[in-house]
Amino acid sequence: MTDHPILEVENLCTTFSRGGTALPAVRDVSFALGKGHVQGLVGESGSGKSVTLRSILGLARHYGEVSGSVRWQGQELTSMSERQLRKIRGREIAMIFQEPMTSLNPLLTVGTQLTETLKAHTDLGRRARRDRAIEMLDHVGIPAAASRLGEYPHQFSGGMRQRVMIAIALAASPKLLLADEPTTALDVTIQAQILDLILKLADEMSMGVVLVTHDLGVVAQTCDTVSVMYAGRVVEQGDVRQVLQTPRHPYTEGLMRSVPQDVPPRTQLYSVPGTPPSLFSLPEGCAFAPRCQSAGPACQTARPTLQDIASGRQTACFNPLPATQEDAA
Amino acid sequence: MTQTVMKIDDLHLSFPVSRSLLDVVQRKPGKSVNALNGVSLELKQGETLGVVGESGCGKSTLARCIVRLYAPTSGQIHFEDENIFGAAARKDRSYNRRVQMMFQDPYSSLNPRMSTGDILAEALRVHQMRPENEIAGRVEELLELVRLPQDAAEKLPHEFSGGQRQRIAIARALAVEPEVLIADELVSALDVSVQAQVVNLLLELQERLKLTILFVAHDLRLVRHVSNRVAVIYLGRIVEIGDSETLFSAPSHPYSRALLSAAPSLDPDDKGVAIQLEGELPSPLNVPSGCPFHVRCRHVTAQCRTVVPALRALEGRGEVACHHAEEINQHA
Ligand SMILES: Nc1ncnc2c1ncn2[C@@H]1O[C@H](COP(=O)(O)OP(=O)(O)OP(=O)(O)O)[C@@H](O)[C@H]1O
Ligand SMILES: Nc1ncnc2c1ncn2[C@@H]1O[C@H](COP(=O)(O)OP(=O)(O)OP(=O)(O)O)[C@@H](O)[C@H]1O
Ligand code: SF4
Ligand code: SF4
Ligand SMILES: [Mg+2]
Ligand SMILES: [Mg+2]
Repeated sequence: MTDHPILEVENLCTTFSRGGTALPAVRDVSFALGKGHVQGLVGESGSGKSVTLRSILGLARHYGEVSGSVRWQGQELTSMSERQLRKIRGREIAMIFQEPMTSLNPLLTVGTQLTETLKAHTDLGRRARRDRAIEMLDHVGIPAAASRLGEYPHQFSGGMRQRVMIAIALAASPKLLLADEPTTALDVTIQAQILDLILKLADEMSMGVVLVTHDLGVVAQTCDTVSVMYAGRVVEQGDVRQVLQTPRHPYTEGLMRSVPQDVPPRTQLYSVPGTPPSLFSLPEGCAFAPRCQSAGPACQTARPTLQDIASGRQTACFNPLPATQEDAA
Repeated sequence: MTQTVMKIDDLHLSFPVSRSLLDVVQRKPGKSVNALNGVSLELKQGETLGVVGESGCGKSTLARCIVRLYAPTSGQIHFEDENIFGAAARKDRSYNRRVQMMFQDPYSSLNPRMSTGDILAEALRVHQMRPENEIAGRVEELLELVRLPQDAAEKLPHEFSGGQRQRIAIARALAVEPEVLIADELVSALDVSVQAQVVNLLLELQERLKLTILFVAHDLRLVRHVSNRVAVIYLGRIVEIGDSETLFSAPSHPYSRALLSAAPSLDPDDKGVAIQLEGELPSPLNVPSGCPFHVRCRHVTAQCRTVVPALRALEGRGEVACHHAEEINQHA
């Protein structure tokens, strides 16, 4: 397993302030990632997945307060100077941002944006950079790549822009990839191709991956382990098989049930009742309590912490769901 | 029976590609991206038509033509027998109200400095939906319709979660009492539970308001769940269209089969048997001759390389654009 983690995140907390009030966007997130390991991150919109990635990369500290520890190959990133961090970003650790429209520069051609990245992070010469740019676009499935290098982002479809972002992130062969919803705008065949590419790089180049996605099918097919977030905290994490097949936290189970599978067409789908809490006024006890069917009196007053419930498996719940069908009976 | 509300005929759209200096010097002809290559379809009153296909195949371009953000190079769209690009329809602004598009990212399409109430009130005023003294009441009604709390009216878009913002966008589209909704990747950015809420809301509103919906999405499970009919697009052409359940349980076109087989299973141990697509990826810059899928198709014959297959009805299935659909499906 993760005997020599390359990335260790410990008690990561990120707080923003809005109009003088503290907004606890990420709370006590901890996980370790080994070489070539793929870790999934799922959870409700607004639960802190993107902020977690931005905090790891040292971006969130510019507009929020970050505490806890992020160790990258033994070095502490949270206290590193911006200059040192810049050497690591893009070269050793690359990030694919969630919004491909806003993270590409609308004024520069796609080709320029790719070759600039290569110029900043590799020793390749001019000619080699152009070749590498075409090769990368080809890898991510942009047809006729050479003839589209001179185009601007607005001339690409949503999914093509997303693929350009992926090509830019992977161009410098990073050791760690932080991928925020990298395939949401892609059709399933291209998605499969890109996930294969990422898995291949993880395998052959020992690239570690943290993958944020809403698609539980993608999690099932790509991740080794997965963490489920709710209201800024990890509520369940462990081996992907165990978490998806026998969720122990009621929120994870609710997510699994919401997938439109084996339900009559055009009928109402299951969805977790209620709405997520405002981060400004989190409940005193378990943040999920107002929406939880297993909630008991303890849940209203005390907050459950992540506990080991099996080897490599953790849940933050006072009344976890039964581990197997037999237990339930 | 079911009435046709919109009829799209042989729609073509190509975007010119900017020529590089070298091309200009060498006097190479300008190229163009052929985004739509003859799309024809009908939208029936009260139905949901799902649209799926490869990224870049022209789905958003089609959606944008329908709401007149793009003008097609050739072909026509009729809404209730009126050509929407004709002079008469252009003067008549009611089309802009009756056919509403909802974008993938409501955050960038909602004005960040306007409160939810103002956003909705503006939509009502622009299209003169209500006299001034009824606007406040109607805003309240709309918020209730999409199940947003009443105090939502005072809040700014960034004070909402992704799912709630999506519902504001829906409320705004519904404010003007449209008959047709064009939903381009409406729920892709939402987690599955919020997705389910939005889909439930759409289904319910469709029933109540008799809405016609064009639903573009990559999530095949979701498309299957919401659609009555589904169209599969490949390189700017419809290659298969038909009843949703039939198409999903027995896709007939080789591309539809490959696409559906690539949907990732929820079971980590079920690696599936995705049909590998061989050959180079097609480019809208250079659409292959004959069947546009022929460079990647396992069943290709000489005929496929030269003759464009027309969309035709296949017994027990929908309509399919493939010369060999019968044989291929016999052996399936
Ligand atoms: N720059 C910022 N300033 C203030 N608050 C922020 C900032 N960025 C994010 N937030 C808040 O932090 C919380 C977590 O946001 P985050 O973007 O991490 O959610 P997410 O899990 O990625 O959601 P989604 O699935 O919708 O992308 C949200 O409440 C969000 O409004
Ligand atoms: N404004 C434009 N100028 C030039 N080319 C364009 C423009 N808009 C779209 N295209 C091209 O038209 C083709 C179809 O794009 P479109 O956005 O319709 O695809 P799509 O099916 O919606 O893809 P996705 O699933 O990735 O959103 C693409 O090759 C794209 O590059
Ligand atoms: S701690 Fe209580 S409220 Fe929270 S998820 Fe578990 S049972 Fe539900
Ligand atoms: S027409 Fe020929 S190439 Fe095209 S899908 Fe059918 S068999 Fe394949
Ligand atoms: Mg996010
Ligand atoms: Mg699109």
